[in-house]
Amino acid sequence: MSELLPAEEIAELKRQIAAVHEPRELIVEVLQAVQQHHGWVPDAGVELAAKLLGLSPLQVDEVATFYDKIYRSPVGRKVIHVCDSICCWSRGAESVYRHLQQCLGIAPGETTSDGLFTLLPTCCLGACGEAPAMRIGDRLYGELTVERVDAILAEERQEAEV
Amino acid sequence: MPTLIIDNQSVTVPEGTNVLEAAQQLGIVVPHFCYHEALGAVGACRVCAMLFIDGPVKGMQMSCMVEAKDGMVVSTEAPEAVAYRSQVIEWLMLNHPHDCPVCDEGGECQLQDMTVASGHSVRRYSGKKRTYQNQDLGPFIAHEMNRCIQCYRCVRTYQDYCGGTDYGVLGANQRLYFGRFRDGPLESPFAGNLVDICPTGVLTNKPYRFTSRFWDLQEALSVCPHCSLGCAVIPGARFRELQRVRAGVNPEVNGWFICDRGRFGYDYVNHPDRPRTPLLHGEELPWSEALEALQQRLSELIDRHGSDSIALLGSGRASLESNYLLRRLGEQLGTAAPVYGSHAARDRAARAVTDLAAKLSASLAEVRSSDLLLVMGADPLAEGPMLALAIRQAVRNGGRVMLCDPRPVELPCSAEHLPCQPQELPQLLRILAAGENLPANLQPLADALQQAKRPVLIGGSDLLGAEGSAALLAAAQKLNSAERPCRTMILLPETNSFGAALLAGDGPDFDQLLNDMDSGRIKALLCLEADPLTDCPDRKRLLQGLEQLEFLAVLDHLPSLTAKKADLLLPTTAVAEGAGTLVNNEGRMQAFAQVFSPGEPLRFTGQGGHPPRNFSSTTPGALPCQAWAVLAELCGLPVNLAEIRRELAAKEPRLAGLPELSAEGPGQRVLPGNGASSSVPPAVATADESLQLLVCETLYGSEPLSALSAPLDPVCPHPYVLLQELDAARLGIAADDLVQLTAGGQQLALPARLSSRMAEGLVIVPRLRGTELESFYPGQPPLPCRVEKVSTP
Ligand code: SF4
Ligand code: SF4
Ligand code: FES
Ligand code: FES
Repeated sequence: MSELLPAEEIAELKRQIAAVHEPRELIVEVLQAVQQHHGWVPDAGVELAAKLLGLSPLQVDEVATFYDKIYRSPVGRKVIHVCDSICCWSRGAESVYRHLQQCLGIAPGETTSDGLFTLLPTCCLGACGEAPAMRIGDRLYGELTVERVDAILAEERQEAEV
Repeated sequence: MPTLIIDNQSVTVPEGTNVLEAAQQLGIVVPHFCYHEALGAVGACRVCAMLFIDGPVKGMQMSCMVEAKDGMVVSTEAPEAVAYRSQVIEWLMLNHPHDCPVCDEGGECQLQDMTVASGHSVRRYSGKKRTYQNQDLGPFIAHEMNRCIQCYRCVRTYQDYCGGTDYGVLGANQRLYFGRFRDGPLESPFAGNLVDICPTGVLTNKPYRFTSRFWDLQEALSVCPHCSLGCAVIPGARFRELQRVRAGVNPEVNGWFICDRGRFGYDYVNHPDRPRTPLLHGEELPWSEALEALQQRLSELIDRHGSDSIALLGSGRASLESNYLLRRLGEQLGTAAPVYGSHAARDRAARAVTDLAAKLSASLAEVRSSDLLLVMGADPLAEGPMLALAIRQAVRNGGRVMLCDPRPVELPCSAEHLPCQPQELPQLLRILAAGENLPANLQPLADALQQAKRPVLIGGSDLLGAEGSAALLAAAQKLNSAERPCRTMILLPETNSFGAALLAGDGPDFDQLLNDMDSGRIKALLCLEADPLTDCPDRKRLLQGLEQLEFLAVLDHLPSLTAKKADLLLPTTAVAEGAGTLVNNEGRMQAFAQVFSPGEPLRFTGQGGHPPRNFSSTTPGALPCQAWAVLAELCGLPVNLAEIRRELAAKEPRLAGLPELSAEGPGQRVLPGNGASSSVPPAVATADESLQLLVCETLYGSEPLSALSAPLDPVCPHPYVLLQELDAARLGIAADDLVQLTAGGQQLALPARLSSRMAEGLVIVPRLRGTELESFYPGQPPLPCRVEKVSTP
């Protein structure tokens, strides 16, 4: 399990867990730490989190599988979350989504063959004012058009290459 | 008490009742899934919608979420409400497979019923359905996730009510999955309740799978015979086979749930080696001749040796009526009163409990609503599993649990554990009873008692013994007052231990019987559903005594050691095959009704294939008779249960309610005893330096009936010895090492388990029937023992 989290980080998490009244509060934080290091959260990551938190793996996995930003299967280096909720839908999210699939040559849920992008739908990103919106990694993009999507993908690609 | 109008009918309900419950009181069938009496309402499934026409809330509302209030006018039949419900059910049915014909739930499926009740009869959706991989959830529960309607009842039962942590809900919105982290047996000993609680065919009873349709089963209200709590159960039989048990409802006792021992322990009834014909010296003979032979042998011996040469042995397995008629038979023959129980110490403890318990004793319902539970020498999961669940409910309601026990007692909830030596327990109770100050290390306990409003003292008669049990009752009495009720609950070894002990009064116990056998005075022994050869801790002496007998007669339905040795064996019925009364550990008389008539299961006579086509006018294996009926005949009494109950109630004033008892309803408490034996035990010297061996019951494998039930085989533990970590370290023993245990003149090689939570100086082995540990008996003071390491695995 050592490759899932470095020892210092485990020690730090343990400190945080000891300080809260109810370890469940920190399930997401521990899972995020695993994901940060490993790219996604394998079963062993859930089990490690459970051990640290004093919970059963099921109790941790209930939370892990609830959130679509915790990845329980392997993903590309950058995950694209395209909003498919109502405001974005009403402002052309469908054509953006279609365009992304065409450009990347993958269907929702798939990863490009170079391992760079994974494409996923998401519910409202809270960016309804800038609909249609998507998120790549931690970066939020609004006012999407087909052209803008091309430019964003190019930038993200370039960034990944350096 | 608000009064409201539902569908033009007026109904008055207690404060706090929701409108769904109020409608049910009027007999109106309202669709519902997420609401359940035991789990409450969450308003999640949306099928209980009603139109609120007038009153404090208006419009379409989920009736389970609205508290009934004065002036409400509600309609379940308004066209809007009907349309709403039928749309919701149509959504719920979108993904549901069309597999009712091959689904075990069919016929007793709430989804079927509610779909019809909501008026959804034609499927319009023709798109793809969501499908899942099922999991292997172990030997008890089958999993078919495609049938799920996301009502969350399973999770609320398993996690919230039962405290399980290995089953839950994964995913979100359209991708919900109800299951485990990965395949594997469900860990909770209450997992079987998922079968009853899931309103669809996702979670069904695995051993019962594909055996019968609900409407083909013979069912009746019965009482679980697998521990002294006496939970309400509904056994189901077909083809002369007991095929399953589901939970009955008794709000005072088990509520809506039962434990897995009670649910899957039924198969002893179908045991292939079960006695099914009267046997005299191994030869079959008709009942009439068998009874004649019995009477003849007994009168011969009485003529030759006098009536005190005959001994009668009843048990806590036999019904109240049977045990009573045994005493009646003794009176007619002029023998000494029957001995009730093959284990003298257990019998004495049960008698100590019966004396006071009826007025001080708590029901499981009272345990559930208590704010402080002191568990002193009881291991609920092993000795009365549903008590553990009741304790959990108290904790969920804000109650506190303190455990004083030398064993590492586990509970499905948080508890404060104060380890102590076995001999310290009666001392502690004695101090409480005397109103003296507890030792400093138990100050938290004293403080908690001071503050509690509804404390219950919980004990187990095996560890406390007669003196400890009496001390516990005395302590409760001391702590009890009109303003601050304090109750007790003491777990007893057998389903009807209370009833048997009550009939025993101050009659002889098994030690006296052994003495009389030693002296050669006893020439004949008649055992009623008792197996002294397995249960009497002094087996050697008993065997010698039995050798000297001229006649051993046994009435039983178990293929017991004693039954095998009997000169005359009279086959009796199991609980589900007869009617009668059992008295649970709180002194509650509970009647059980007959589910089916005995007979060799078709599964055996047909040898797995088509039922045999050889015709006869008799049913194979149908000879077992209800023990009370056999005894009534021997007494020359009419074979009439109602009359026997009347007679018994007249003779035993504490059983006054017996004639009115019915299998429906929560049962009735026996009347209080006179409390004569609430004497307080004297202080005893603490044990010496050597290790002490304590023999304890376990959840599976200790109780005699369920130990013969095949569905429980996969979960029965293998023999082991449990050591305190510090003792093990001193002896150089690690977990899983093979060790040699020397105790009571025996030597056994067993794998070691270690615990840090048990008392030092103590060694624990489980009471496991049918294994090499069978000759170690619970309910005895600890035995000095030695433990040595043999090898590392
Ligand atoms: S498995 Fe059964 S009880 Fe659980 S959510 Fe699905 S339908 Fe409801
Ligand atoms: S707690 Fe006891 S009486 Fe209740 S179901 Fe379990 S074994 Fe039966
Ligand atoms: S609906 Fe897309 S961000 Fe809110
Ligand atoms: S029963 Fe009322 S919403 Fe489910």
